[in-house]
Amino acid sequence: MQGTGRGGMGPGLSPVDRRTLLVCSFILAAALGQMNFTGDQVLRVLAKNEKQLSLLRDLEALKPQKVDFWRGPARPSLPVDVRVPFSELKDVKAYLEAHGLAYSIMIKDVQVLLDEEREAMAKSRRLERSTSSFSYSSYHTLEEIYSWIDNFVTEHSDIVSKIQIGHSFENRSILVLKFSTGGSQRRAVWIDTGIHSREWITHATGIWTAKKIVSEYGKDRILTNILNAMDIFMEIVTNPDGFAFTHSMNRLWRKNKSTRPGIFCIGVDLNRNWKSGFGGNGSNNNPCSETYHGPSPQSESEVAAIVDFITAHGNIKALISIHSYSQMLMYPYGRSLEPVSNQKELYNLAKDAVQALYGVHGIEYIYGSISTTLYVASGITVDWAYDSGIKYSFSFELRDTGRYGFLLPASQIVPTAQETWMAIRTIMEHTQNHPY
Amino acid sequence: MPPLRPAAAPSPLLALALALALALQGAAAAGPGGLLPQAARAALHFLNFRAGSPSALRALAAVQEGRARINAEKECTVDLVFTTERHNPEEGEERLGKCSARVLFRNQKPRPVINITCTRVTEKNKRQQEDYLLYKQMEQLRNPLDVVNIPDNHGHIDPSLRPIWELAFLGSSYVMWEKTTQFLHYYMAQLSSVKQWKTNDGAIDFDYTVLLHEFSTQEIIPCRIHLVWSPGKPLKVKYHCQELQAPEEASGTEGGSAVAPTELSNF
Repeated sequence: MQGTGRGGMGPGLSPVDRRTLLVCSFILAAALGQMNFTGDQVLRVLAKNEKQLSLLRDLEALKPQKVDFWRGPARPSLPVDVRVPFSELKDVKAYLEAHGLAYSIMIKDVQVLLDEEREAMAKSRRLERSTSSFSYSSYHTLEEIYSWIDNFVTEHSDIVSKIQIGHSFENRSILVLKFSTGGSQRRAVWIDTGIHSREWITHATGIWTAKKIVSEYGKDRILTNILNAMDIFMEIVTNPDGFAFTHSMNRLWRKNKSTRPGIFCIGVDLNRNWKSGFGGNGSNNNPCSETYHGPSPQSESEVAAIVDFITAHGNIKALISIHSYSQMLMYPYGRSLEPVSNQKELYNLAKDAVQALYGVHGIEYIYGSISTTLYVASGITVDWAYDSGIKYSFSFELRDTGRYGFLLPASQIVPTAQETWMAIRTIMEHTQNHPY
Repeated sequence: MPPLRPAAAPSPLLALALALALALQGAAAAGPGGLLPQAARAALHFLNFRAGSPSALRALAAVQEGRARINAEKECTVDLVFTTERHNPEEGEERLGKCSARVLFRNQKPRPVINITCTRVTEKNKRQQEDYLLYKQMEQLRNPLDVVNIPDNHGHIDPSLRPIWELAFLGSSYVMWEKTTQFLHYYMAQLSSVKQWKTNDGAIDFDYTVLLHEFSTQEIIPCRIHLVWSPGKPLKVKYHCQELQAPEEASGTEGGSAVAPTELSNF
């Protein structure tokens, strides 16, 4: 069963180290061709005190050679990782439960992970050398997307460049595409996708949109006028750690992967970590919650990177943050029912954008402020953007309305991107025609 | 959203009812699209469960009219008219059904009281035929115990496994209806695994796990569901869902507790 993958993480081995350890330890075994780890699990146990620690050491004595401590019992509050062979799982779990030892399943099938590792390593040698064979109607891994970005920038270097704006918690690069036909610090539009990692349709839409922009420049009058006057910044993988996790372990992971000492659950909801109404009712202070706002505003590097970039740029005039699912186009505020000062203008713009979207495939979106259309949400991107002076701040919730939800079939990527493009273009056009 | 009207009430309570109704009018959305679509979805979960027909599952198309009122006990009654479409859309065919429903949310308690009537989209014989065909398809399935993750990560469902997904959704409808409150609304995100699949005596004995997505908290809730389905007979369902882990309580909840069907059932 695909669990929610919540496990404690304290100081100690980072996931990269752990993976290296795993690979190195087992590659020898695999080479010998004898070992099979199917069904084996790695449990993470949190011992609260010395007594519990000694119970864990007793486990080793009870099951000599049968349990394999990857991170042995050292002190209370440091997690203990133990690989348990499939045949011993029942006994070991019963032992832990009987003694009140809290545990979570860090790896639910070691063999699966090994196989994936092997495949990933083989794959990295096969990564595409150009964007012409890249499939815009499939979902991709982080590596494939980053490889595509490099190729894309190379192929369209007259208009597109790549900027690294920071690092994720697990030290992955945070990348932004810049579309520009010249000028210096022009008025610009910011678009982000993938802030919630399980919303795969958003990254896919971002990629397609990037391609659309370069294809339409010089062909579509509206887009050409926009790009001649303004720049576009697009961050496709806003939450790279979470996204990698949706591929490796938990397809429905939403948050980032940040950990803090003494806190059992992982991750902060990046769309509750902004400095606007932070910590309000539309977020949660329980670190195990999907809407955990984090310890403080902008505490997350993924959010801080964007804040720093946009603030330093100083000339962003529209911000579009893309999510799924529900089929909605919304503007601030999420944190309260208070209408923004240009509420009427935003309402009408949303109406036009949704109309343009509908014209493509007949898909109906509803629109309005976030708090009245979706739910009260505190510390969100678009509220911060608006409060920072970005008058045209919008949030999308793409297809569908629940039949497939986050698991939207890949066959819907292109139609979704096509219709969303018309809405985005409408917003950009309005921004261009209403300078401020 | 259509205008909301206060409940008719004896005059001492009128001021209170009025105030509550006005508060509701300016209220934040209870869920995506607001209270009306969510009430419609709750009504459909109930309808689908009661119909017990995996080949005739209905989904919300559009709300046409509705109004809500709150009484002095803070119970919220929603009256609606809405259109429906097939949960599993086929190429070409798309006949909209129409339903009218009254949904009573009992002040944050789950199990809303539903009264729903719908126009008949498929006549009874045809529906029974399709259920029987579906049953036959399911009988043919070889060892679905290997099955995990439907849809898969890319949203794909193998056509031969679609009947399992439909049946899983039917069982989930019961769970989702039971758990729904005014503020909590559920979707079935994924059929995560099949624990048991037995066909005998014209019935399917299906034990499986799903991941439900609760919208207002954005939580993913794993549920173990055990159902027995026989074409033309009422559905029997038992289930147990894991609930949100609190930060202090860490006594092996995630993956630790044996997920055995213990809750209320209609077995």
